[in-house]
Amino acid sequence: MDIRAHVSMVFHLDKCIGCHTCSVACKNIWTDRKGTEYMWWNNVETKPGTGYPTQWEDQEKYKGGWALGEDGRIHLRLHDRTNGLSNIFYNPALPTIDDYYEPWTYDYENLFNAPEGDDQPTARAVSMITGKPMDNIEAGPNWDDDLGGSPVYAANDVNLNKLTEEEREQLAEIERVVFFYLPRICNHCLNPGCVAACPAGAIYKRGEDGIVLISQEKCRAWRMCISGCPYKKTYFNWSSGKSEKCILCVPRLESGQPPACFHSCVGRIRYLGVLLYDADMIEKSTSVPDSELVAAQRAMIMDPFDPAIIAAAKQNKISDAMIAAAQNSPVYKFVKKWQIALPLHAEFRTLPMLYYVPPMLPILAKTKDGNYDIEGLDREGLPAMLGSLEKARMPIKYMASLFSAGNVEEVEAAYRKLIAVRIFKRAQKVKDYQQAEVDAALAAGKTNPEEVEAIFRLTSLPTYEERFVVPPLGRESAVEAWENPLERKTEAGFGVRNKIAKRKF
Amino acid sequence: MTESVERLSLPKGPALLLVLLAALAFLTLATGVAFAQPSAQAADGEALFKEKCVACHTIGGGKLVGPDLQGVTERQDPVWLKQWILAPDQVLASGDPIATGLFKEYNNVPMPNLGLTPDQVDALLAYLGGGATTGGAGAELPAGDAVSGKAYFVGDQRFSNGGPHCISCHSVAGLGSLGGGNLGPDLTNSGYTQSETAFASFISAPSTQTMNSIWASTPLTLQEQADLYAFLSKAAIQQREPSSLLQIALLAILGAALLIALANLYWGKRLRGVRKPMVERARAAAKR
Repeated sequence: MDIRAHVSMVFHLDKCIGCHTCSVACKNIWTDRKGTEYMWWNNVETKPGTGYPTQWEDQEKYKGGWALGEDGRIHLRLHDRTNGLSNIFYNPALPTIDDYYEPWTYDYENLFNAPEGDDQPTARAVSMITGKPMDNIEAGPNWDDDLGGSPVYAANDVNLNKLTEEEREQLAEIERVVFFYLPRICNHCLNPGCVAACPAGAIYKRGEDGIVLISQEKCRAWRMCISGCPYKKTYFNWSSGKSEKCILCVPRLESGQPPACFHSCVGRIRYLGVLLYDADMIEKSTSVPDSELVAAQRAMIMDPFDPAIIAAAKQNKISDAMIAAAQNSPVYKFVKKWQIALPLHAEFRTLPMLYYVPPMLPILAKTKDGNYDIEGLDREGLPAMLGSLEKARMPIKYMASLFSAGNVEEVEAAYRKLIAVRIFKRAQKVKDYQQAEVDAALAAGKTNPEEVEAIFRLTSLPTYEERFVVPPLGRESAVEAWENPLERKTEAGFGVRNKIAKRKF
Repeated sequence: MTESVERLSLPKGPALLLVLLAALAFLTLATGVAFAQPSAQAADGEALFKEKCVACHTIGGGKLVGPDLQGVTERQDPVWLKQWILAPDQVLASGDPIATGLFKEYNNVPMPNLGLTPDQVDALLAYLGGGATTGGAGAELPAGDAVSGKAYFVGDQRFSNGGPHCISCHSVAGLGSLGGGNLGPDLTNSGYTQSETAFASFISAPSTQTMNSIWASTPLTLQEQADLYAFLSKAAIQQREPSSLLQIALLAILGAALLIALANLYWGKRLRGVRKPMVERARAAAKR
């Protein structure tokens, strides 16, 4: 057993309102420099949709992540050693700038400085790469927001390939159209494709908290990480010639604050906390069949209250404060205790440490005589309004494609529990459910009133401290592994940087 | 001293003094010998001349690769001459008019820097001024065969003493458009091949450091020399054909095209954009 600590995340999609505040908070702090204009370390996609970069989930094209080989081991989809060498000067699986978008700004100065004329001056779009006017903007980082251009974009969502032709047609029906938001940042994976693909050894996963970082000194611009990451969350800075990615706002974390996107989230959908996991299980859990991936990943997460686990953690020099943070972790509750948060695209086999609570799905209904008519009971004998997964507008197979590597039971189990919480609380507050229905919902969700109350509390009424349990990262002690903290002890203060002349008498 | 070496320690006290004194005496003696032998200079000069100069020069035997050196000490200023023999490359590079004239006169073959010390140069000058003659160059070459000479040059035929074939370092017109190596001079219309005697004299004991180190141990036979000379002096290779330039250009274009085709074959399946083809497909479908 090799217990390690990982700063992990949960995004509760039921609460995401798609306002992009997270993206803007991140952009303003990290990616407003030259060469980074096109990067969105945090972006919010509309699903169904093709996302950013376009169709990033299609690994037939982008060759990201790992594939399970016939030998039962995982292999980088991008290349083996031979191909890696022969392609080293010419990476064949890079997204083009058009697949992200050509970043632009507007020539606002023209509004003030234009010479007097017959027409109102306009602010033309100007490319932030070439500096030339862009009069025909064809794509943006969020071009298909709220199903914009859906016959082209939403229709080409890679996850829809799992649906039947009939189901796909129904999705486009008027009054059935449905979408939800999917905010994405770097998943800080346990088995990162970017790290494995880097020929320069420039990407590393910090031992004490699992944050994946790119060394700007070691990066040699091979750009294999960009192909290797199946989530397309490493980006190439064309100005500095180095790759960059989400750093989970380490400077903020190290001073006890949550990352900027977490802090600014209007819907308060984001949770941050520590998970303890067994690193010895990584290889095994990445090479199970697709349907078992989510369960295998969950099995790696260890109970931070188990004395044996605590002892093993201490043996690995995990601090008491870190263990305490793991015990208070909201992520542990969502992912392991309640099992309602699931990894995004587990089939990429990178073991992402960002988990999503799937959004409640609007159900199919038709207006009859001006009334919204919902008929019948669902499979579990629950009224259709909140209970029905069968009648959900978004086929459950689609959600399984996103959150459980195609395993429908896994994502259904999460939904049954979320529905139980809804029905239980509604019966409590609105009182329009019978006790029998509530009991049926609890049984279907394999839950109980205490757990439901706890889920409700952490979903709807969490305090700042409950959402963000930022552990002391102990960087100052971790750094002692390679640097003597007293090395520069006498090299600061007055007269060190600028010599001060002695006063002459 | 032997004792101190055996004990693996430095001599101390009076012993050290003795050792130092002995060393000093030896040094004085050795330098004394080196500096105080003017009478031996001419004899040394003759040996030096035979070792370093005969490849290109005679005294009273006529021109070879370089000029006949009979009376050179009277023709030239001794200070200049000493400087020239010491470092011909530097004198030539300084744009000296006499050196430049000689360089042009002898088909642009520069005199190599022989790495002589000032004393050796003095000895040589003493020998040259002493009125000695060497007669003509070495042996007469038999009749050569240009075809066989070319075979030796490009390496189709081995030299009997195992020397390397010429094309590794030298190029010459008449080899085809790609020519030969660039380490040694291009032998087209070169001063080394201006006469049979000059060529034979040089190639049998080359004075330049690179050539000497190779050919001293693996000399060419007379027949090989004759064949090579026949090839190098052939009228057809006295000038580069303009068509060979076109050939080089065509070869370069063909080679580039082949490389690009191969690269395209290997990297042809690379990702060439996702969004644009997707949008175009959707538009085409909408039109239908």
